[in-house]
This record gives sequence, structure tokens and C-alpha cells, in this order.
Amino acid sequence: MAIKIAAMILAGGKGTRLGALTKKLAKPAVSYGGKYRIIDFPLSNCANSGITHVGVLTQYESSALNSYIGNGKNWGLNGVNCLTSVLSPKQTEQGSNWYAGTADAIYQNLDWLDELDPEYVLILSGDHIYATTFDEMLEQHIKNKADCTVAVREVPLAEASRFGICETDERNFIIGFKEKPKQPKGTLASMGIYIFTYKTLKKYLKADAVKEKTDHDFGKDIIPSMIAREKRLLAYRYGGYWKDVGTISSLHEANMDLLLSGDPEIDLYSIQNTAHIYSEDNHCQPQYIGPDAVVRDCLINQGAVIRGTVDHCVISSDVIVDEGAECYNTVLMNGCHVRAGAKVYDCLVAPNEIVHKDEEVNASRDGIALFAGGRTVK
Amino acid sequence: MKNVTGIANFHTAPEVLPITQARPLGSTSFLGRYAFCDFALSNLCNSGISQVGLLVKDHQRSILKHLGSMNSWVINTKIGHTHILYNEPGHRDPRLNTDVNNLLENDWLLYDSKSSLFAFVPSHLVCAMDLRPYVSNHQQSERAVTIVASKQRNLKSSWLGSYVLEFDDKGTLVDAVANKGQFSTPKVVSLDTFIINRPSLIDLLRKYAPLYPQSDLFSLIMVAYKEGAISIAVEYYDGFVRSVDSFAHYMDYSLEMLDKHKSDQLFRPDWPVYTLTHDTPPALYGQESEVHNSYVSNGARIEGKVINSIIARNVHIGKGAVIKNSIIFSSVSINEGAMVENVLIDKYSIVERDHVIKGKGKDPIYVAQGAIL
Repeated sequence: MAIKIAAMILAGGKGTRLGALTKKLAKPAVSYGGKYRIIDFPLSNCANSGITHVGVLTQYESSALNSYIGNGKNWGLNGVNCLTSVLSPKQTEQGSNWYAGTADAIYQNLDWLDELDPEYVLILSGDHIYATTFDEMLEQHIKNKADCTVAVREVPLAEASRFGICETDERNFIIGFKEKPKQPKGTLASMGIYIFTYKTLKKYLKADAVKEKTDHDFGKDIIPSMIAREKRLLAYRYGGYWKDVGTISSLHEANMDLLLSGDPEIDLYSIQNTAHIYSEDNHCQPQYIGPDAVVRDCLINQGAVIRGTVDHCVISSDVIVDEGAECYNTVLMNGCHVRAGAKVYDCLVAPNEIVHKDEEVNASRDGIALFAGGRTVK
Repeated sequence: MKNVTGIANFHTAPEVLPITQARPLGSTSFLGRYAFCDFALSNLCNSGISQVGLLVKDHQRSILKHLGSMNSWVINTKIGHTHILYNEPGHRDPRLNTDVNNLLENDWLLYDSKSSLFAFVPSHLVCAMDLRPYVSNHQQSERAVTIVASKQRNLKSSWLGSYVLEFDDKGTLVDAVANKGQFSTPKVVSLDTFIINRPSLIDLLRKYAPLYPQSDLFSLIMVAYKEGAISIAVEYYDGFVRSVDSFAHYMDYSLEMLDKHKSDQLFRPDWPVYTLTHDTPPALYGQESEVHNSYVSNGARIEGKVINSIIARNVHIGKGAVIKNSIIFSSVSINEGAMVENVLIDKYSIVERDHVIKGKGKDPIYVAQGAIL
């Protein structure tokens, strides 16, 4: 049965700059916002867009991520006529290959897509934080008879060399594209979100697979080669909140954006009706705030027990902050225990860490630190 | 335990007015996150009982809403089943709305079930009870029924409506008497929890139920026992247990959970309490929020002051508002500057800006669902 659109979520990346947080965990599975994992956002966006068929391409440290995705039930993607498949590298008649790049990951799963026979394929990154639906983007793709639509956003010129930068004509069609240019010509950055007309995508992926000089990458190879052959590539401008959390400090910042004092563009409460973010709900008790606790400007998940001071913090389930402990501008991931008298400043505390009695973490306050394996890393 | 069918019995729950006007106690909110029946269903699930029937007395809308897909309390969603057993004739004639008539109305359960034992648990009891030792002892005892009971004090003001078991000098069970506050000494109270052999249950329903058409199942068991038709063993549960039997007790038993020593007895790492989950975001606290000794559920936005209170899902407490010794049910808004003390505010209510509502310590105020104050 042919379907209108299938989503492919690229979730195999290591996220090297997140250090110990991704030592044994794929970046899309990293904890965020007290109760979520980063991949909840793209998966919820798919669910909220009415997309029913989702492939999640995993590779690096995939066990925990694969278990988490399961059959898609956390996002309602296990209903009638829904399919959520974890697509890890596999052994075939031709041998076994790791995914050699983003395009290769999709290429190696063309059989999965062929089974579904979608008209369009949405390709997403599993480690971006944003809450939206893809309805309008698909509508524009269809209306403009595009072969590929690339979601883009304006970025500061100073950051442009971190992204794929698009050049567009007056009708928003892409006429030039350079992945991570040393001297960017513009500030219109690709968000790594693409809608392809499947037949065209398949043709270009097959051609790329047999090329000698290629990185098998959408930004470096597929998009430029489509532009070179004058295919219709549309730029879809996205103005809402969007974060690619590549570093400890950007992950910390994205967490703090969720607070009442944070970025009003991302408000988990006001987006409930249009872009509900789904996740795995655990069976913890409601959170308990102790008699002498001080809780200011925080986001705290169920199961946390706060007896000390938490100010400007994001706190996951099963976190314990003892009486007399103080945490400022800090993210406490699930299962952390901050013992009495400890003080934690400007920090991301990795899951299940213990901050010992009277220990001071990042007291110098000269930047955001990661506390993992019992030590502070910057 | 494949040979045991669990029955969560909503018929035996006390009426706790005004909270239970439109809902049974079993599906009433507890600690902002649970419904009372979560404890019964989690106890069955944690005891390895996958086949569960819910004997629903009334207000099934509220129960169905809480149960959702009914998979929250099932280990294997193919093997395990949760069935709603509703007594339609009882709805037409409240005198016949008993657990016995409900079982007769839903006798397919007895035909379909291959279980040799039925474990009845009340929908409203707050406890973390492992049924496995009782089942195991029951199987070895060769008795028809095992009643799980507990020694309790203060029967003048608590456990009202529960059956008090009376024994002779040799310790043999002789009778069960409903507690109407007449006991001044500690007594053994039936926890409405019993294990019964399948043939004995069928016998009770076929032979005794027609003779006592308005009787509850526990009374039928006692009638049959006194006639010598069945044998009973009494087992004791000495863990933490509460039976909410009045509005005042609802407030007391909820707020006492703020004491860690009490809540640790109920919430044990090895005995999770499952409930329906709602994908609500974590609770959000404002820069001027001040919260002490309180339970707060996900989805709550707190910008004011909360002391010794329980705040349920999707509650908003505005800046400068003060909540003290109170329980706030889900989706309530308490606007800026309002004062709420010794009050239970039911769902969807709004307390307008600067409004003051204070109950007395032993006489808390109830604000009905959807009220605007």
C-alpha cells in the first residue's frame, strides 16, 4: 500500500562534544528538560504532523536508544496503520557495512522505503530540539512541485561556517549550497531537515552510492549534486525555536530555555495543544519539596525529592537534593544525588552521579561544566 | 500466578461525601497523581496476577477515564486482561447493586476463567500488599477462604463500615460485625481482602446468593461459614494500611503522606505503584515561588507560595497566591494574590484574584468541581 509520506530520523551520531554524556549513549537519547530525551522532539513532531511511518536510523551505542524507541508507543506511533522501525546497520548478501554517511544510511534502507512506497520522504535529525509540525513544509513542497525542500533559518554570520549555507533566488529556490563553508556567502542555514520526492531521492542515492569520491552526505553530496542538475530545491524558512545541541554549554542553555525566565519561544506549557511533546512516563511518585527547601525558577520532574536549595535548575526524576545542599543554574539528570552541604554551580550533572557531602562543583563559575564520573569537566 | 484471578471490588468502598458525589472512591485522586484503585491494581500486578476483573458499582465513566487503555497495570498485554464488570440490574435498583449480583451478572468470568482461585481486593484501600504469601498459604491450608485482616486501634473514629472479626477464646473465628464506631478496644478488621477457591465461590453464588439477594459477598461467606459449609483461615497483614471513610480522613490520610516515615512505608522501591500517565511536562516554578513540605505533580505551574499541601496535575498557582494545608485537584487555577487554607478544591475550579478561602483545622472546606470563587 502506497503512503503519502514516511519519515527517516537520523539518530546514529555520537555527539563527540558532549563528552561523558555520550560515552555509552547515542546523542539523541541524551536526557533533556527533566523528563525528555532529545529524540522525543523529532518523534513527537512526526506524530503531531500525522506521519504514521517512521524509520529511526541508529548506529552509535544504539542499545539504549533502540530499546527506548521500541515500537513507537511512547509517541503513539504504534497505532493502526502505523509503523515505527529501528533501522540499524545490517548484514546483507553484499556483506555488512556501517552507515558511511547520512545519505548512505538512507540508501541502505531503500528496501524498507520501497515496501512502503511513499510519495515523499521526510529526513530529520534525531538530535535537534524544536516543536513543530511539518504540514506547511510538505504543503509548500507539493505546491511548488519541488524535488527537495530544505528547512532553513537565519543564523548569525559568525556561526554560519558551522552549517550548510544556502543561496536562494527571489522565489526561495536554492541556487547554491555549501556545507560548512570557511567563508560563508550568506546566513541562511540548512537545519538538516529535508522533504524529498521519493523517486528523485532514490535516484540520487543510488547514483551517490556508486560514486568514487563522496562522503555519502546529504549536505556535502546529495544537495549539491541535485543543484548541479538543476533540480527544484525549495528553501522552507522556519522561524520558531530550534537548537542543535552539540556541546555541553548549548545543552545546558537549551535546558535553561525551558524555564519561566528562559526563552519564551519554547514553552512546554503553551505548546501543549499544537505540538505536544510525548515521552516515556515513568511510575515515580509526585515530586516532594521538603520543609526547608528553596525552589526558585526551576523545572522539576516527578519522582524528585528536593530538601535543599535549587535556583534556576532543571531537575529529572529520582533526583535527590538533600537538606543544606545548594544547586544554582544547574541541570540534574535522572538519579543524581546532591548530598548535604554540597554546592553545585553552572553545571550539567550526568545521570546517577553523586555529589558528595560538602563538595563544591564548579565553584569558580567561569563557564558551564559537566559533572560526570565524579569529576568536573569543562 | 496463572491460577489466580484478581477481583478489584468497587462495591465495598465507603461513600466519602462530598468528594465521591460524582465518582467512586476507587477513582478519586490521591496525592495529586494516583487514584485509590491504583494501589489495588498495582498490588495485583506486583503479585503476578494478570487476569483482573473490576467489579464496578457506579460512576463507571470516572473509572473508565482513569483506566485508559487498561494496560498500565498489566505485565504482559497479551496474557494479562483487565475486564470491567458492571452490574446493569443494580443500576436500575440500587438495593441489588451488590458485588454478589455483579458477579452473577458477569458470571461469564467464572466460566471463562481457568483460575482455581479468586483474590478479592477492595478498590479503595491504601497499602502495598504482596498477595503471594497469602495465596501460597491458602493453597497449603486446604481452606475454602482465606481472609486477610489487620489489627487496628481507634475503631470509634476509623475503619467505619469495615467488618470487625470476632474470635472465641481458642482463637476460632466466630463472627464478623460491621464497625459503626461501637468498639473501644483494638480489634481485628477484615481488609475486604480474601482468597476463595473457585468451587466455593460458585457454590456461594448458586446456593446462598438467591437466599440473600441484597447481601454482599463477605456476608455470604460468613453465613456459609457459620453453617459449616465452608472453612476459613485468617491471615494477618501488619504493613501500612489506610481506609478513607470520611472527608476529614481523606484530608488527614493524604496530608500525613508528607511525612517521609509514613510515605516510605507505602512507596517502596521494590513495589511500584502504577497509574495512568498523561505526558504532562515537569512542574514549572517561577522566580518568586516558595514551596515547603508539599507534593507537586507534573504539569503544575507554581508562581506563588505552597505550604503543607498537595498539588495535582495542570494546576496553576499565580504570583502572590498562598496555598496552605490544602489539596488541589487537577486543572485548578488559583489566581494572583488568592489565599487558600485548609481547603480541598476539586477539579477545573478557579479561585479568582485576591479571593480568600479558609477552612478550620478540623473542618476543612470542600470546593466542588468546576466552581468559580
